[in-house]
Amino acid sequence: MTSDMADRASRVPGVERDGIRVQCTAEDMRKAYLSFRAGGVGFCPALHIAGAYPIMVTGLSKDGLMDYEVVIGLETHIQLNTATKIFCSCKADSSSDGPNTNICPVCTGMPGVLPVLNKSVVEKGALLAAAMHADLPPVSFFDRKNYFYPDLPKGYQISQYDRSLARGGYMDVSMPDGSTRRVSIHKLHLEEDAGKTKTENGRRLIDFNRCGVPLVEMVTGPDIRSADEAAQYLTNLRQLLRWIGVSDADMEKAQLRCDANVSLRPHGADYLNPKTEIKNVNSIEAVRAAITKEVERQTREYDSGRRIESWTLEWDEDTQTLKKMRSKETEADYRYFREPDLLPVYLDDAWKAAILTALPELPLARRNRFVGDYGLPAYDADLLTSERSLSDYFETAVKAYGGDPKRVSNWLMNDVMRMLNESGKTAAELNLRPEYLAQIIKLVDAGAVNTNTAKSLLEKVNRTSQPPAQIVAEEGLAKVSDDSAIRAAAEQVVAESPGEAASYRTGKVGLMGWFVGQVMKKMQGKADAPKARAILEELLK
Amino acid sequence: MSDEITPELFKHLAELAALELDETESEYLRGQLNNQLKAIHELEAIPLDAETPIASHGVPYTPATSPALRPDTWSPYPNPAALLKGAPETDGGYIIVPEIPTQDLG
Amino acid sequence: MNIVELPALEIARKVRARELTATEVTEAHLAHIARVDGQPGAIGGDPSAEPDKVHAFITLTAERARARAAAIDAQIAAREDPGPLAGVPVTIKDIFCVEGTPSTAASRILSNFVAPYTATAVARWEQAGAVVLGKVNLDEFTYGSSNESSAFQPATRNPWNTSHVPGGSSGGSAAAVAAYEGPLSLGTDTAGSIRLPAAYCGVVGLKPTYGRVSRYGLIAFGSSLDCPGPLARNVSDAALALQAMAGADPRDATAATVPVPDYLSEMEKGVRGLKIGLSPDYFRVTFFDAHTGALVEQDLPGEVKQSVLDAAEHLARMGAEIVEGVPMPHTRYGIPAYFVISRVEAASNLHRYDGVKYGYRTAKMPENLRDMYRKSRAEGFGLQPKLRVLMGMYVSAAQYSEQYYNRALRVRSLIRKDFDEAFARVDALLTPTATSTAFKVGGVYGDSVLMQYADQLIVTGNHAGVPGISIPAGFGADGMPLGMHLFAGDFREDILFRAGRDYEQSTESEPWRARRPQAAAW
Repeated sequence: MTSDMADRASRVPGVERDGIRVQCTAEDMRKAYLSFRAGGVGFCPALHIAGAYPIMVTGLSKDGLMDYEVVIGLETHIQLNTATKIFCSCKADSSSDGPNTNICPVCTGMPGVLPVLNKSVVEKGALLAAAMHADLPPVSFFDRKNYFYPDLPKGYQISQYDRSLARGGYMDVSMPDGSTRRVSIHKLHLEEDAGKTKTENGRRLIDFNRCGVPLVEMVTGPDIRSADEAAQYLTNLRQLLRWIGVSDADMEKAQLRCDANVSLRPHGADYLNPKTEIKNVNSIEAVRAAITKEVERQTREYDSGRRIESWTLEWDEDTQTLKKMRSKETEADYRYFREPDLLPVYLDDAWKAAILTALPELPLARRNRFVGDYGLPAYDADLLTSERSLSDYFETAVKAYGGDPKRVSNWLMNDVMRMLNESGKTAAELNLRPEYLAQIIKLVDAGAVNTNTAKSLLEKVNRTSQPPAQIVAEEGLAKVSDDSAIRAAAEQVVAESPGEAASYRTGKVGLMGWFVGQVMKKMQGKADAPKARAILEELLK
Repeated sequence: MSDEITPELFKHLAELAALELDETESEYLRGQLNNQLKAIHELEAIPLDAETPIASHGVPYTPATSPALRPDTWSPYPNPAALLKGAPETDGGYIIVPEIPTQDLG
Repeated sequence: MNIVELPALEIARKVRARELTATEVTEAHLAHIARVDGQPGAIGGDPSAEPDKVHAFITLTAERARARAAAIDAQIAAREDPGPLAGVPVTIKDIFCVEGTPSTAASRILSNFVAPYTATAVARWEQAGAVVLGKVNLDEFTYGSSNESSAFQPATRNPWNTSHVPGGSSGGSAAAVAAYEGPLSLGTDTAGSIRLPAAYCGVVGLKPTYGRVSRYGLIAFGSSLDCPGPLARNVSDAALALQAMAGADPRDATAATVPVPDYLSEMEKGVRGLKIGLSPDYFRVTFFDAHTGALVEQDLPGEVKQSVLDAAEHLARMGAEIVEGVPMPHTRYGIPAYFVISRVEAASNLHRYDGVKYGYRTAKMPENLRDMYRKSRAEGFGLQPKLRVLMGMYVSAAQYSEQYYNRALRVRSLIRKDFDEAFARVDALLTPTATSTAFKVGGVYGDSVLMQYADQLIVTGNHAGVPGISIPAGFGADGMPLGMHLFAGDFREDILFRAGRDYEQSTESEPWRARRPQAAAW
């Protein structure tokens, strides 16, 4: 554009210039669409006035209203579960400490102190980066991000800026419809957390306990297309973080924090509109709800010809509404420069290799393998890979069992997962070891115990840690298939129940189940049920 | 030659630096800054190519001379309460500051 | 025998040999301080009070010192070795944190700050048996070359003539050592802050290699430039002092893991066989005259130049090979580059002084948090910190960082390259420390540019990180001391000690060596 054109364009309401890329309001777009329907070329009148070029009309629905594409990027802060803080030897977790009790001169920014980098932070960060398929450059740097805030005792945050621990990366997110969306990672770096502030009676209270807790800041590209996808990304991320053991990732405890950048654009457009940033969302459901609300709001704004401004919004969990936050004290310029108190971090090949030996098979790969190798239904595979120790448990059990993996899956999903839920333990912590589960299933397969016995056997093994076969032997739980013993019990039951016997004989055949139950009761559940039924039918003829 | 740091720019810098300066002080400081900048501009006389490296320190650190990273071992600070002793205002273990400025949402 | 005239090495030897007690040594020094030092610097103090006194101290910790001395004497009585600094009284520049003592940085903003921990360098001296007498004055936050910018007045004066400045920023340290208020002092050097006052006060000042001594507990100025180092009355004492504090520190990630040699025994090798370079680039000064706007190039004053040439002759006589014409073409850019780098780091380092968690908070009722910051910082900082913060804000702005900060860092690399090339040819470089003798109180203060240029011959060592030492080399026509200066390669402080010690021995019998500073007369 010539400067004259630019000048005219800038005076046209609702038109912005961005090189040759032009955006206009919904109202302009509607006019363009109407002109198109009337047989015109379909250009935006405002842009035409501005001397710009016709633009293709895309993303309009039949009634001329915009059909928007939702563009979401998520900025997450992940607390690494190290023992100590990133730059000092205070413990990282202050959840059970009073205010300002888990602090030292370093994390409170006393004059003269210096940061010393925690090796484990680099290792956990690198492991996460590898799990996100990011590159790990051989050298990275820490930088100072300068701003004033009372929860930041040094007046700068030690972070990583242009040469961070990792470059690039992505996460494949499995969507509820079975598809996979690849979400790119734009930024992944290490930094220190700030303290906490809260307002009470018009005063601001400051607690430095959280200062220096190690964080990974991870920012996705604008690749997420709905509130549900955002929620799914976070679900998968949380699963991954726990899976690789770098974070406990409890959003309610702020171990995983998420800010969402939300914007809309016409379908097919390749530019980005101004976005709003939603902060303070501390559960996956809240992220879903807040984004849904914001998409609705932005749609309304665009539909009524207004623009979206780059606000920072705060999610109010109680009222389920978004509020506009104060503008930041220091705008864009944090005057980043290399932290002179820290040396570059050299991640040489040997160290990198040592770190990566701890990288397990990732959840999605394992899920797909469970479907492919074991023939599990997708539902089973999803459930069994929701948590790493459960999937390890499954696999160990399958190997010990040697039979149909789906049979193991059924036992796991029905019985073992109930035990896990009731006890709050992880699969690895169960006394019922996967080998024992396999043995119990084998006992059932061999007809040595019946299903009911097997279920109570699970509980007994878990309670006593004894091998199933030993319990079966000691307690005489083996299924009784001996006709004479069952016949004796059945004769006794019939003799003791003349009324029921008479009813049965007059046609109330539904009582058979009751008779079988009575026989089982007499034999402490060990009777072979089909046999008992056959004998009873004979006796009651 | 006009001043590189004008009164307006100076005000902006003072705001960034969180310094409330009076008129006399401001004029003196602004004058000194402009004088220093004239000295700094001498750097522009040096032919520099992009190849000239940037280092955070003059002494090069090699893996052999760089200290090992800190092992992740907890070592509690013996007297955290002492760190609050110099705080201008505390209450119940918290440090107290005036309210953070808020913007009228309008 | 006058105890206060004894070198540190001699005191430690006598204390360990039970010829003197630490208590006797401490008391002798406290008594001498009471005679010569005058009132300590204080907030709101009169700058012109007791103009014939030294005023090295901000905080004299006499009781703490007596308790330490008693503990050392108890160790001796129990046949334990208190260490190589047994009973040696030392002073500490008040930019270091010492647990339980006010650690002020000579600034109102830290005037009420009592450090909750002790700096590594101080702790190591104390572990070696040193007795800390107290904290000595400096330019506010080390920002200056004269001590006049201290918020604690009266500021330190030059013991050789109290109408002159002691130099800075470690002016209190240099003056205390010169005036026999303690044979060692711990200073810091960011652009020459140990070596300039050492030269001005006629003592030895060593800036070790960056990373040789831990910075933990040193209240930061330019974190990539700051070096703790000793001031002493002779080279052997400087070597002893460095020995006791050098080496890696788990609390400083930039303290290099380079083995620490035995400096005193290395020193005995002398200068014989070493190549000492002279560079024409260190015999002229280039400075920016803010009043005329002109870049002024001048030859050094004749007496300064002559003292260095004399030193070269002494070193040659002791067996050194003198190599002339070593090019150091980027020397003149040391100050402009320093103006940028140090300000960026200083502005960031001063961010933490905000009235929130320690130090000064405004007494005026602030409207809100931001107002509290603005008032506390404006009232708490003097002009020099303000200047540095504002300049730092300007040159580190994202849109200017290539033009200023990155350019300055590249220039630093060029200065480093000068040294790398020089040390490929020679073992050490002999230069003047300062461009003149100590100027008069009030002579330069107020002109921040001219003040900064006082460091121009030694700031290059801070950029390059290499060690440098200033050693007394006679007197100027005004009766004020002159210093000569040596640079060596990374971690080659041993070379500085070898050459420096031989120079001292070679000049032992010269009459100027017998002079005593006026303010320390007894």
